[in-house]
Amino acid sequence: MEIPAAVTLTGPGSVGVGSRNGESGFDSVQFGEEIQRLMTVPPESASSFTALLELPATQAMELLHHGPDSGGAPGKVAPSVSGDALCKPYSHPYSSNLTFLSDPALIERAAKFSVFAGEHSPETSSVPSNSSANLEKVKNEPMETDSNPNSSQPLVSDPVVEEKSQSQRPSVKRKEREKKAKGSSKKSKNESSEDAEKLPYVHVRARRGQATDSHSLAERARREKINARMKLLQDLVPGCNKISGTALVLDEIINHVQSLQRQVEFLSMRLAAVNPRIDFNLDSILATDNGSVMEGNLPGMVSPLMWPEFPINGNRQQYQQEWHFDALHQPLWGREEDSHTFVTPENSLLTYDSSANSASLHSSQLKMEL
Amino acid sequence: MKSYPNLGLSASNDNNSRLSTSTTKAKFALRFIRSLKEMKKRGHVSNNSSADERSQRIKAAAYSSMAHAVGPRRAWARALLFKLQRSAKRHRVLTNMTRKRNRSCLVLRQKKNKKKKKGIKKKKSVTNGNDDVLLNQTDKLRGLVPGGKSMDICSLFEETAHYIKCLATQVKVMQDIADQLSPK
Repeated sequence: MEIPAAVTLTGPGSVGVGSRNGESGFDSVQFGEEIQRLMTVPPESASSFTALLELPATQAMELLHHGPDSGGAPGKVAPSVSGDALCKPYSHPYSSNLTFLSDPALIERAAKFSVFAGEHSPETSSVPSNSSANLEKVKNEPMETDSNPNSSQPLVSDPVVEEKSQSQRPSVKRKEREKKAKGSSKKSKNESSEDAEKLPYVHVRARRGQATDSHSLAERARREKINARMKLLQDLVPGCNKISGTALVLDEIINHVQSLQRQVEFLSMRLAAVNPRIDFNLDSILATDNGSVMEGNLPGMVSPLMWPEFPINGNRQQYQQEWHFDALHQPLWGREEDSHTFVTPENSLLTYDSSANSASLHSSQLKMEL
Repeated sequence: MKSYPNLGLSASNDNNSRLSTSTTKAKFALRFIRSLKEMKKRGHVSNNSSADERSQRIKAAAYSSMAHAVGPRRAWARALLFKLQRSAKRHRVLTNMTRKRNRSCLVLRQKKNKKKKKGIKKKKSVTNGNDDVLLNQTDKLRGLVPGGKSMDICSLFEETAHYIKCLATQVKVMQDIADQLSPK
Protein backbone atom coordinates (compact mmCIF):
# COMPACT_ATOMS: atom_id res chain seq x y z
CA MET A 1 0.00 0.00 0.00
CA GLU A 2 1.50 3.29 -1.08
CA ILE A 3 1.14 6.29 1.15
CA PRO A 4 0.87 9.61 -0.63
CA ALA A 5 3.28 12.41 0.13
CA ALA A 6 0.60 14.49 1.81
CA VAL A 7 0.01 11.94 4.58
CA THR A 8 2.15 12.42 7.68
CA LEU A 9 2.40 10.05 10.55
CA THR A 10 2.14 11.99 13.80
CA GLY A 11 3.06 9.43 16.38
CA PRO A 12 5.91 8.86 18.78
CA GLY A 13 9.09 8.73 16.79
CA SER A 14 7.44 9.12 13.42
CA VAL A 15 9.02 11.24 10.76
CA GLY A 16 7.40 13.02 7.80
CA VAL A 17 7.72 11.25 4.53
CA GLY A 18 9.04 14.29 2.75
CA SER A 19 11.95 14.92 5.17
CA ARG A 20 14.72 12.55 4.24
CA ASN A 21 17.80 14.57 5.08
CA GLY A 22 17.76 14.07 8.85
CA GLU A 23 16.52 10.50 8.84
CA SER A 24 18.17 8.01 11.19
CA GLY A 25 18.09 4.23 11.02
CA PHE A 26 15.95 3.95 14.15
CA ASP A 27 13.33 6.29 12.80
CA SER A 28 13.10 4.38 9.57
CA VAL A 29 12.65 1.10 11.45
CA GLN A 30 9.88 2.64 13.52
CA PHE A 31 8.31 3.99 10.37
CA GLY A 32 8.34 0.52 8.82
CA GLU A 33 6.74 -0.97 11.92
CA GLU A 34 3.99 1.62 11.82
CA ILE A 35 3.26 0.76 8.21
CA GLN A 36 3.16 -2.95 8.96
CA ARG A 37 0.76 -2.35 11.82
CA LEU A 38 -1.47 -0.37 9.56
CA MET A 39 -1.33 -3.10 6.93
CA THR A 40 -2.23 -5.84 9.40
CA VAL A 41 -5.19 -4.00 10.89
CA PRO A 42 -8.30 -6.14 10.52
CA PRO A 43 -10.73 -4.32 8.24
CA GLU A 44 -13.77 -5.15 10.36
CA SER A 45 -12.57 -2.96 13.20
CA ALA A 46 -11.81 -0.05 10.94
CA SER A 47 -14.31 2.73 10.88
CA SER A 48 -13.12 4.57 7.78
CA PHE A 49 -13.85 4.26 4.07
CA THR A 50 -10.19 3.50 3.31
CA ALA A 51 -10.65 0.12 4.92
CA LEU A 52 -13.46 -0.61 2.51
CA LEU A 53 -11.26 0.20 -0.44
CA GLU A 54 -8.80 -2.53 0.52
CA LEU A 55 -11.47 -5.21 0.68
CA PRO A 56 -12.59 -7.30 -2.27
CA ALA A 57 -15.85 -6.34 -3.91
CA THR A 58 -18.05 -9.02 -2.30
CA GLN A 59 -16.98 -8.25 1.26
CA ALA A 60 -17.36 -4.52 0.72
CA MET A 61 -20.89 -5.05 -0.58
CA GLU A 62 -21.75 -7.21 2.45
CA LEU A 63 -20.39 -4.58 4.80
CA LEU A 64 -22.42 -1.91 3.10
CA HIS A 65 -25.67 -3.87 3.01
CA HIS A 66 -25.56 -4.88 6.68
CA GLY A 67 -27.65 -2.38 8.56
CA PRO A 68 -26.74 -0.80 11.90
CA ASP A 69 -29.34 -3.01 13.58
CA SER A 70 -27.39 -6.20 12.94
CA GLY A 71 -25.10 -5.32 15.82
CA GLY A 72 -22.03 -6.83 14.25
CA ALA A 73 -18.82 -5.04 13.62
CA PRO A 74 -19.35 -4.89 9.88
CA GLY A 75 -22.38 -2.69 10.34
CA LYS A 76 -20.38 0.08 11.87
CA VAL A 77 -19.33 1.86 8.78
CA ALA A 78 -18.72 5.56 8.72
CA PRO A 79 -22.12 6.97 7.83
CA SER A 80 -21.02 9.76 5.58
CA VAL A 81 -18.07 10.92 3.68
CA SER A 82 -17.78 14.62 3.31
CA GLY A 83 -14.97 17.05 2.89
CA ASP A 84 -15.02 17.89 6.56
CA ALA A 85 -14.88 14.27 7.58
CA LEU A 86 -11.91 13.69 5.36
CA CYS A 87 -10.04 16.60 6.76
CA LYS A 88 -10.69 15.73 10.41
CA PRO A 89 -8.21 13.47 12.15
CA TYR A 90 -9.72 10.19 13.23
CA SER A 91 -8.58 7.98 16.10
CA HIS A 92 -7.08 4.69 15.14
CA PRO A 93 -7.40 1.84 17.64
CA TYR A 94 -3.65 1.49 17.70
CA SER A 95 -2.91 4.89 19.21
CA SER A 96 -1.15 6.20 16.11
CA ASN A 97 -2.93 9.26 14.83
CA LEU A 98 -3.30 9.55 11.05
CA THR A 99 -4.05 13.01 9.80
CA PHE A 100 -5.28 13.91 6.28
CA LEU A 101 -4.23 17.33 5.18
CA SER A 102 -6.87 19.45 3.57
CA ASP A 103 -5.53 19.09 0.03
CA PRO A 104 -8.35 19.64 -2.51
CA ALA A 105 -6.75 17.34 -5.09
CA LEU A 106 -6.60 14.52 -2.57
CA ILE A 107 -10.17 15.10 -1.52
CA GLU A 108 -11.36 14.89 -5.10
CA ARG A 109 -9.35 11.75 -5.68
CA ALA A 110 -10.75 10.13 -2.54
CA ALA A 111 -14.26 11.11 -3.53
CA LYS A 112 -13.77 9.54 -6.96
CA PHE A 113 -12.50 6.25 -5.64
CA SER A 114 -14.87 6.00 -2.70
CA VAL A 115 -17.94 3.83 -2.84
CA PHE A 116 -19.95 6.59 -1.25
CA ALA A 117 -19.26 9.13 -3.98
CA GLY A 118 -22.77 10.22 -4.76
CA GLU A 119 -24.33 12.50 -7.30
CA HIS A 120 -22.55 15.58 -6.04
CA SER A 121 -18.96 16.01 -5.02
CA PRO A 122 -17.99 15.91 -1.35
CA GLU A 123 -17.05 19.54 -1.37
CA THR A 124 -20.52 20.66 -2.21
CA SER A 125 -22.37 18.47 0.28
CA SER A 126 -23.65 20.67 3.04
CA VAL A 127 -25.58 18.03 5.00
CA PRO A 128 -24.07 17.26 8.42
CA SER A 129 -22.27 13.96 8.73
CA ASN A 130 -24.46 12.45 11.42
CA SER A 131 -27.79 13.02 9.71
CA SER A 132 -30.12 10.08 9.20
CA ALA A 133 -30.91 11.10 5.62
CA ASN A 134 -27.29 10.66 4.75
CA LEU A 135 -27.28 7.23 6.33
CA GLU A 136 -30.18 6.11 4.17
CA LYS A 137 -28.41 7.51 1.17
CA VAL A 138 -25.31 5.50 1.97
CA LYS A 139 -27.38 2.35 2.30
CA ASN A 140 -29.38 2.85 -0.86
CA GLU A 141 -26.71 4.06 -3.22
CA PRO A 142 -24.90 0.79 -3.86
CA MET A 143 -28.18 -0.95 -4.56
CA GLU A 144 -29.06 1.63 -7.18
CA THR A 145 -25.69 1.47 -8.81
CA ASP A 146 -25.78 -2.29 -8.83
CA SER A 147 -29.24 -2.52 -10.26
CA ASN A 148 -28.50 0.03 -12.97
CA PRO A 149 -26.63 -1.69 -15.79
CA ASN A 150 -25.92 1.54 -17.65
CA SER A 151 -23.79 3.01 -14.89
CA SER A 152 -20.36 3.28 -16.37
CA GLN A 153 -18.58 4.11 -13.11
CA PRO A 154 -17.15 0.97 -11.49
CA LEU A 155 -17.78 0.27 -7.84
CA VAL A 156 -14.34 -1.08 -7.12
CA SER A 157 -11.13 0.77 -7.74
CA ASP A 158 -8.94 -2.31 -7.74
CA PRO A 159 -7.61 -2.80 -11.28
CA VAL A 160 -7.69 -6.61 -11.08
CA VAL A 161 -11.33 -6.61 -10.09
CA GLU A 162 -12.08 -4.08 -12.79
CA GLU A 163 -10.43 -6.26 -15.41
CA LYS A 164 -12.46 -9.26 -14.27
CA SER A 165 -15.71 -7.37 -14.42
CA GLN A 166 -14.83 -6.02 -17.85
CA SER A 167 -14.00 -9.48 -19.16
CA GLN A 168 -17.28 -10.81 -17.79
CA ARG A 169 -19.40 -8.19 -19.54
CA PRO A 170 -17.79 -7.10 -22.80
CA SER A 171 -20.96 -7.40 -24.83
CA VAL A 172 -22.90 -5.24 -22.38
CA LYS A 173 -20.33 -2.50 -22.73
CA ARG A 174 -20.45 -2.71 -26.49
CA LYS A 175 -24.21 -2.42 -26.39
CA GLU A 176 -23.93 0.55 -24.10
CA ARG A 177 -21.49 2.23 -26.44
CA GLU A 178 -23.71 1.57 -29.44
CA LYS A 179 -26.71 2.94 -27.59
CA LYS A 180 -24.77 6.01 -26.60
CA ALA A 181 -23.54 6.51 -30.15
CA LYS A 182 -27.05 6.12 -31.52
CA GLY A 183 -28.46 8.49 -28.97
CA SER A 184 -25.80 11.07 -29.65
CA SER A 185 -26.32 10.78 -33.41
CA LYS A 186 -30.07 11.16 -32.97
CA LYS A 187 -29.54 14.15 -30.75
CA SER A 188 -27.11 15.69 -33.18
CA LYS A 189 -29.55 15.11 -36.05
CA ASN A 190 -32.37 16.73 -34.15
CA GLU A 191 -30.17 19.60 -33.10
CA SER A 192 -28.89 20.08 -36.63
CA SER A 193 -32.41 20.09 -38.06
CA GLU A 194 -33.50 22.62 -35.45
CA ASP A 195 -30.43 24.72 -36.15
CA ALA A 196 -31.13 24.53 -39.86
CA GLU A 197 -34.61 25.82 -39.23
CA LYS A 198 -33.40 28.60 -36.99
CA LEU A 199 -30.12 29.65 -38.56
CA PRO A 200 -29.61 30.69 -42.20
CA TYR A 201 -27.80 28.32 -44.56
CA VAL A 202 -24.03 28.53 -44.22
CA HIS A 203 -21.97 27.45 -47.21
CA VAL A 204 -19.54 24.75 -46.14
CA ARG A 205 -16.61 23.88 -48.32
CA ALA A 206 -16.80 20.40 -49.80
CA ARG A 207 -14.58 17.69 -48.41
CA ARG A 208 -11.52 16.49 -50.22
CA GLY A 209 -12.50 14.18 -53.06
CA GLN A 210 -16.06 15.47 -53.39
CA ALA A 211 -15.09 17.94 -56.10
CA THR A 212 -14.17 15.04 -58.39
CA ASP A 213 -17.54 13.37 -57.93
CA SER A 214 -19.40 12.75 -61.20
CA HIS A 215 -22.44 14.77 -60.12
CA SER A 216 -20.40 17.79 -59.12
CA LEU A 217 -18.38 17.57 -62.33
CA ALA A 218 -21.55 17.49 -64.41
CA GLU A 219 -22.95 20.41 -62.44
CA ARG A 220 -19.75 22.35 -62.97
CA ALA A 221 -19.84 21.67 -66.72
CA ARG A 222 -23.47 22.80 -66.82
CA ARG A 223 -22.64 26.02 -64.98
CA GLU A 224 -19.76 26.69 -67.35
CA LYS A 225 -22.07 26.16 -70.33
CA ILE A 226 -24.64 28.54 -68.93
CA ASN A 227 -21.97 31.17 -68.24
CA ALA A 228 -20.63 30.82 -71.78
CA ARG A 229 -24.12 31.29 -73.23
CA MET A 230 -24.67 34.30 -71.00
CA LYS A 231 -21.45 35.84 -72.28
CA LEU A 232 -22.59 35.20 -75.85
CA LEU A 233 -25.88 36.93 -75.12
CA GLN A 234 -24.04 39.81 -73.49
CA ASP A 235 -21.97 40.26 -76.64
CA LEU A 236 -25.10 40.25 -78.80
CA VAL A 237 -27.05 42.77 -76.76
CA PRO A 238 -25.58 46.26 -77.05
CA GLY A 239 -24.53 47.93 -73.80
CA CYS A 240 -24.75 44.71 -71.84
CA ASN A 241 -21.02 44.32 -71.20
CA LYS A 242 -21.05 47.15 -68.69
CA ILE A 243 -23.75 45.51 -66.59
CA SER A 244 -22.69 43.10 -63.87
CA GLY A 245 -25.16 40.67 -62.37
CA THR A 246 -27.20 37.91 -63.95
CA ALA A 247 -30.56 39.46 -63.16
CA LEU A 248 -29.72 42.79 -64.79
CA VAL A 249 -28.24 41.07 -67.84
CA LEU A 250 -31.39 38.99 -68.26
CA ASP A 251 -33.48 42.15 -67.95
CA GLU A 252 -31.49 43.76 -70.75
CA ILE A 253 -31.81 40.67 -72.94
CA ILE A 254 -35.58 40.58 -72.42
CA ASN A 255 -35.87 44.27 -73.25
CA HIS A 256 -33.76 43.82 -76.38
CA VAL A 257 -35.85 40.89 -77.66
CA GLN A 258 -39.05 42.81 -76.99
CA SER A 259 -37.73 45.87 -78.80
CA LEU A 260 -36.74 43.77 -81.82
CA GLN A 261 -40.17 42.16 -81.94
CA ARG A 262 -41.79 45.59 -81.72
CA GLN A 263 -39.57 46.79 -84.56
CA VAL A 264 -40.69 43.86 -86.72
CA GLU A 265 -44.30 44.71 -85.96
CA PHE A 266 -43.76 48.37 -86.75
CA LEU A 267 -42.01 47.57 -90.03
CA SER A 268 -44.77 45.19 -91.05
CA MET A 269 -47.29 47.96 -90.38
CA ARG A 270 -45.18 50.32 -92.41
CA LEU A 271 -45.01 47.83 -95.28
CA ALA A 272 -48.76 47.33 -95.05
CA ALA A 273 -49.36 51.07 -95.12
CA VAL A 274 -47.23 51.51 -98.21
CA ASN A 275 -49.01 49.87 -101.12
CA PRO A 276 -46.25 47.52 -102.27
CA ARG A 277 -44.82 48.48 -105.63
CA ILE A 278 -42.26 45.75 -105.98
CA ASP A 279 -40.72 46.79 -109.25
CA PHE A 280 -37.77 44.45 -108.91
CA ASN A 281 -37.38 42.42 -112.04
CA LEU A 282 -37.05 39.26 -109.99
CA ASP A 283 -39.10 36.95 -112.18
CA SER A 284 -36.09 35.61 -114.00
CA ILE A 285 -34.11 35.36 -110.76
CA LEU A 286 -36.85 33.42 -109.04
CA ALA A 287 -37.24 31.18 -112.09
CA THR A 288 -33.56 30.39 -112.41
CA ASP A 289 -33.05 29.91 -108.70
CA ASN A 290 -32.77 26.17 -108.27
CA GLY A 291 -33.10 26.53 -104.51
CA SER A 292 -36.60 27.91 -104.65
CA VAL A 293 -39.31 26.19 -102.62
CA MET A 294 -42.84 25.75 -103.80
CA GLU A 295 -44.98 27.85 -101.51
CA GLY A 296 -48.28 26.57 -100.18
CA ASN A 297 -51.44 28.58 -100.64
CA LEU A 298 -52.27 29.25 -97.04
CA PRO A 299 -55.07 31.79 -96.64
CA GLY A 300 -54.14 35.31 -95.74
CA MET A 301 -50.44 34.82 -96.24
CA VAL A 302 -47.93 33.04 -98.37
CA SER A 303 -46.06 30.66 -96.17
CA PRO A 304 -43.55 28.18 -97.53
CA LEU A 305 -44.07 24.45 -97.33
CA MET A 306 -43.83 23.05 -93.82
CA TRP A 307 -41.29 20.38 -93.17
CA PRO A 308 -41.83 17.43 -90.90
CA GLU A 309 -40.30 17.73 -87.46
CA PHE A 310 -37.23 15.56 -87.17
CA PRO A 311 -35.23 14.97 -84.04
CA ILE A 312 -32.17 17.16 -84.03
CA ASN A 313 -29.30 14.73 -84.25
CA GLY A 314 -27.02 16.76 -86.43
CA ASN A 315 -27.44 14.10 -89.07
CA ARG A 316 -27.75 15.80 -92.41
CA GLN A 317 -29.11 12.75 -94.21
CA GLN A 318 -32.39 12.93 -92.35
CA TYR A 319 -33.16 16.25 -93.95
CA GLN A 320 -32.06 15.28 -97.43
CA GLN A 321 -35.32 13.67 -98.41
CA GLU A 322 -36.01 15.03 -101.84
CA TRP A 323 -39.58 16.14 -102.19
CA HIS A 324 -40.06 16.60 -105.93
CA PHE A 325 -42.74 18.93 -107.08
CA ASP A 326 -42.95 18.99 -110.90
CA ALA A 327 -39.53 17.32 -110.89
CA LEU A 328 -37.93 20.66 -110.17
CA HIS A 329 -38.36 21.95 -106.64
CA GLN A 330 -36.62 20.69 -103.57
CA PRO A 331 -36.70 22.07 -100.06
CA LEU A 332 -34.06 24.68 -99.57
CA TRP A 333 -33.01 23.39 -96.20
CA GLY A 334 -32.05 20.06 -97.79
CA ARG A 335 -28.91 21.58 -99.23
CA GLU A 336 -28.10 24.42 -96.93
CA GLU A 337 -24.70 24.70 -95.35
CA ASP A 338 -24.10 24.01 -91.70
CA SER A 339 -22.50 27.35 -91.02
CA HIS A 340 -25.11 30.03 -90.41
CA THR A 341 -23.03 33.07 -91.19
CA PHE A 342 -24.57 36.48 -91.04
CA VAL A 343 -23.76 39.00 -93.72
CA THR A 344 -22.51 42.39 -92.71
CA PRO A 345 -24.25 45.42 -94.24
CA GLU A 346 -21.27 45.94 -96.53
CA ASN A 347 -21.73 42.56 -98.19
CA SER A 348 -24.28 42.22 -100.92
CA LEU A 349 -27.63 40.71 -100.04
CA LEU A 350 -28.14 38.80 -103.24
CA THR A 351 -24.95 38.36 -105.20
CA TYR A 352 -24.80 37.99 -108.93
CA ASP A 353 -23.14 34.82 -110.08
CA SER A 354 -22.79 34.11 -113.79
CA SER A 355 -22.60 30.39 -114.33
CA ALA A 356 -23.92 28.10 -117.00
CA ASN A 357 -25.80 25.82 -114.60
CA SER A 358 -29.12 27.52 -115.22
CA ALA A 359 -28.82 27.06 -118.98
CA SER A 360 -29.99 23.50 -118.58
CA LEU A 361 -33.43 24.68 -117.49
CA HIS A 362 -35.86 24.43 -120.36
CA SER A 363 -38.07 27.28 -121.42
CA SER A 364 -41.17 25.19 -120.76
CA GLN A 365 -40.13 24.74 -117.15
CA LEU A 366 -39.53 28.46 -116.87
CA LYS A 367 -43.01 29.13 -118.21
CA MET A 368 -44.47 26.70 -115.70
CA GLU A 369 -42.55 28.42 -112.93
CA LEU A 370 -43.76 31.86 -113.98
CA MET B 1 -28.84 45.35 -115.32
CA LYS B 2 -30.67 46.88 -112.41
CA SER B 3 -28.98 47.37 -109.07
CA TYR B 4 -30.52 48.12 -105.70
CA PRO B 5 -27.82 49.47 -103.41
CA ASN B 6 -29.98 49.73 -100.30
CA LEU B 7 -30.78 46.07 -100.32
CA GLY B 8 -27.40 45.12 -101.69
CA LEU B 9 -29.33 43.40 -104.43
CA SER B 10 -27.99 43.00 -107.94
CA ALA B 11 -29.91 41.20 -110.62
CA SER B 12 -29.86 40.66 -114.37
CA ASN B 13 -32.40 39.64 -116.94
CA ASP B 14 -30.17 36.92 -118.35
CA ASN B 15 -31.19 33.32 -117.92
CA ASN B 16 -27.60 32.49 -117.08
CA SER B 17 -27.81 34.36 -113.80
CA ARG B 18 -28.04 32.31 -110.64
CA LEU B 19 -28.74 33.36 -107.07
CA SER B 20 -26.33 32.41 -104.32
CA THR B 21 -28.26 31.73 -101.13
CA SER B 22 -25.46 30.76 -98.83
CA THR B 23 -26.39 33.19 -96.08
CA THR B 24 -29.44 33.45 -93.89
CA LYS B 25 -29.86 37.10 -94.74
CA ALA B 26 -30.00 36.39 -98.46
CA LYS B 27 -32.39 33.48 -97.97
CA PHE B 28 -34.70 35.53 -95.82
CA ALA B 29 -34.67 38.49 -98.22
CA LEU B 30 -35.44 36.31 -101.20
CA ARG B 31 -38.27 34.48 -99.49
CA PHE B 32 -39.78 37.60 -98.02
CA ILE B 33 -39.76 39.46 -101.34
CA ARG B 34 -41.29 36.45 -103.04
CA SER B 35 -44.02 36.20 -100.42
CA LEU B 36 -44.76 39.92 -100.81
CA LYS B 37 -45.05 39.47 -104.56
CA GLU B 38 -47.42 36.55 -104.13
CA MET B 39 -49.51 38.55 -101.72
CA LYS B 40 -49.74 41.35 -104.26
CA LYS B 41 -50.72 38.92 -107.01
CA ARG B 42 -53.53 37.45 -104.96
CA GLY B 43 -54.73 40.85 -103.88
CA HIS B 44 -54.20 40.25 -100.16
CA VAL B 45 -52.29 43.51 -99.88
CA SER B 46 -54.75 45.55 -101.86
CA ASN B 47 -56.38 48.71 -100.60
CA ASN B 48 -59.64 46.85 -99.92
CA SER B 49 -58.32 44.94 -96.91
CA SER B 50 -57.68 46.81 -93.69
CA ALA B 51 -54.19 47.88 -92.65
CA ASP B 52 -54.27 45.64 -89.57
CA GLU B 53 -54.97 42.54 -91.61
CA ARG B 54 -52.25 43.42 -94.06
CA SER B 55 -49.72 44.09 -91.34
CA GLN B 56 -50.58 40.78 -89.66
CA ARG B 57 -50.11 38.92 -92.93
CA ILE B 58 -46.84 40.65 -93.68
CA LYS B 59 -45.56 39.96 -90.18
CA ALA B 60 -46.51 36.28 -90.46
CA ALA B 61 -44.82 36.10 -93.86
CA ALA B 62 -41.68 37.70 -92.43
CA TYR B 63 -41.53 35.27 -89.51
CA SER B 64 -42.19 32.22 -91.67
CA SER B 65 -39.58 33.36 -94.20
CA MET B 66 -37.01 33.75 -91.45
CA ALA B 67 -37.86 30.37 -89.94
CA HIS B 68 -37.51 28.70 -93.32
CA ALA B 69 -34.26 30.50 -94.00
CA VAL B 70 -32.84 29.25 -90.73
CA GLY B 71 -33.95 25.66 -91.25
CA PRO B 72 -35.41 23.00 -88.98
CA ARG B 73 -32.32 22.56 -86.86
CA ARG B 74 -33.27 25.39 -84.58
CA ALA B 75 -36.00 24.68 -82.06
CA TRP B 76 -37.37 28.22 -82.19
CA ALA B 77 -37.72 28.03 -85.98
CA ARG B 78 -39.63 24.77 -85.81
CA ALA B 79 -41.87 26.05 -83.04
CA LEU B 80 -42.56 29.25 -84.96
CA LEU B 81 -43.44 27.40 -88.15
CA PHE B 82 -45.81 25.03 -86.43
CA LYS B 83 -47.43 27.92 -84.62
CA LEU B 84 -47.98 29.74 -87.91
CA GLN B 85 -49.27 26.57 -89.53
CA ARG B 86 -51.74 26.04 -86.72
CA SER B 87 -52.96 29.62 -86.89
CA ALA B 88 -53.34 29.33 -90.67
CA LYS B 89 -55.38 26.14 -90.34
CA ARG B 90 -57.53 27.73 -87.68
CA HIS B 91 -58.05 30.76 -89.88
CA ARG B 92 -59.03 28.54 -92.78
CA VAL B 93 -61.46 26.55 -90.64
CA LEU B 94 -63.01 29.68 -89.22
CA THR B 95 -63.51 31.25 -92.64
CA ASN B 96 -65.17 28.11 -93.99
CA MET B 97 -67.55 27.71 -91.06
CA THR B 98 -70.72 29.67 -90.43
CA ARG B 99 -70.97 32.27 -87.70
CA LYS B 100 -72.95 30.03 -85.37
CA ARG B 101 -70.41 27.29 -85.62
CA ASN B 102 -67.68 29.81 -85.11
CA ARG B 103 -69.27 30.97 -81.88
CA SER B 104 -69.81 27.46 -80.58
CA CYS B 105 -66.25 26.44 -81.44
CA LEU B 106 -64.85 29.53 -79.81
CA VAL B 107 -66.88 28.90 -76.65
CA LEU B 108 -65.72 25.29 -76.53
CA ARG B 109 -62.12 26.33 -77.05
CA GLN B 110 -62.35 28.93 -74.33
CA LYS B 111 -63.71 26.32 -71.92
CA LYS B 112 -60.94 23.90 -72.83
CA ASN B 113 -58.32 26.57 -72.40
CA LYS B 114 -59.70 27.48 -68.98
CA LYS B 115 -59.59 23.85 -67.89
CA LYS B 116 -56.05 23.49 -69.13
CA LYS B 117 -54.95 26.63 -67.35
CA LYS B 118 -56.38 25.34 -64.09
CA GLY B 119 -54.53 22.07 -64.45
CA ILE B 120 -51.22 23.60 -65.48
CA LYS B 121 -50.57 25.42 -62.20
CA LYS B 122 -47.30 24.29 -60.68
CA LYS B 123 -46.11 24.51 -57.12
CA LYS B 124 -42.83 26.33 -57.03
CA SER B 125 -40.29 25.38 -54.42
CA VAL B 126 -39.41 27.90 -51.75
CA THR B 127 -36.25 29.70 -52.81
CA ASN B 128 -34.33 32.84 -52.06
CA GLY B 129 -35.44 36.21 -53.38
CA ASN B 130 -32.64 36.37 -55.92
CA ASP B 131 -33.46 32.92 -57.28
CA ASP B 132 -37.11 33.90 -57.51
CA VAL B 133 -36.22 36.96 -59.60
CA LEU B 134 -34.07 34.84 -61.91
CA LEU B 135 -36.86 32.30 -62.30
CA ASN B 136 -39.33 35.03 -63.22
CA GLN B 137 -36.94 36.45 -65.78
CA THR B 138 -36.25 33.09 -67.38
CA ASP B 139 -40.00 32.50 -67.56
CA LYS B 140 -40.38 35.84 -69.34
CA LEU B 141 -37.64 34.90 -71.76
CA ARG B 142 -39.33 31.55 -72.40
CA GLY B 143 -42.49 33.42 -73.30
CA LEU B 144 -40.64 35.68 -75.73
CA VAL B 145 -38.62 33.03 -77.57
CA PRO B 146 -40.85 30.70 -79.59
CA GLY B 147 -40.75 27.14 -78.28
CA GLY B 148 -38.93 28.26 -75.14
CA LYS B 149 -41.36 26.68 -72.71
CA SER B 150 -40.07 23.20 -73.46
CA MET B 151 -36.37 24.05 -73.06
CA ASP B 152 -33.92 23.91 -70.23
CA ILE B 153 -31.97 27.05 -69.32
CA CYS B 154 -28.85 26.10 -71.24
CA SER B 155 -30.60 25.49 -74.56
CA LEU B 156 -32.89 28.45 -73.90
CA PHE B 157 -29.92 30.81 -73.79
CA GLU B 158 -28.46 29.31 -76.95
CA GLU B 159 -31.75 29.57 -78.83
CA THR B 160 -32.23 33.12 -77.54
CA ALA B 161 -28.82 34.13 -78.88
CA HIS B 162 -29.62 32.73 -82.32
CA TYR B 163 -33.11 34.21 -82.27
CA ILE B 164 -31.73 37.66 -81.47
CA LYS B 165 -29.29 37.39 -84.40
CA CYS B 166 -32.07 36.38 -86.75
CA LEU B 167 -34.42 39.09 -85.50
CA ALA B 168 -31.72 41.71 -86.04
CA THR B 169 -31.19 40.43 -89.60
CA GLN B 170 -34.94 40.42 -90.20
CA VAL B 171 -35.27 43.99 -88.99
CA LYS B 172 -32.43 45.14 -91.25
CA VAL B 173 -33.88 43.52 -94.36
CA MET B 174 -37.40 44.74 -93.66
CA GLN B 175 -36.05 48.23 -93.05
CA ASP B 176 -34.26 48.18 -96.41
CA ILE B 177 -37.35 46.92 -98.23
CA ALA B 178 -39.54 49.53 -96.55
CA ASP B 179 -37.07 52.24 -97.52
CA GLN B 180 -37.10 51.02 -101.13
CA LEU B 181 -40.88 50.86 -101.32
CA SER B 182 -41.64 54.09 -99.54
CA PRO B 183 -42.48 57.00 -101.89
CA LYS B 184 -39.58 59.39 -102.31
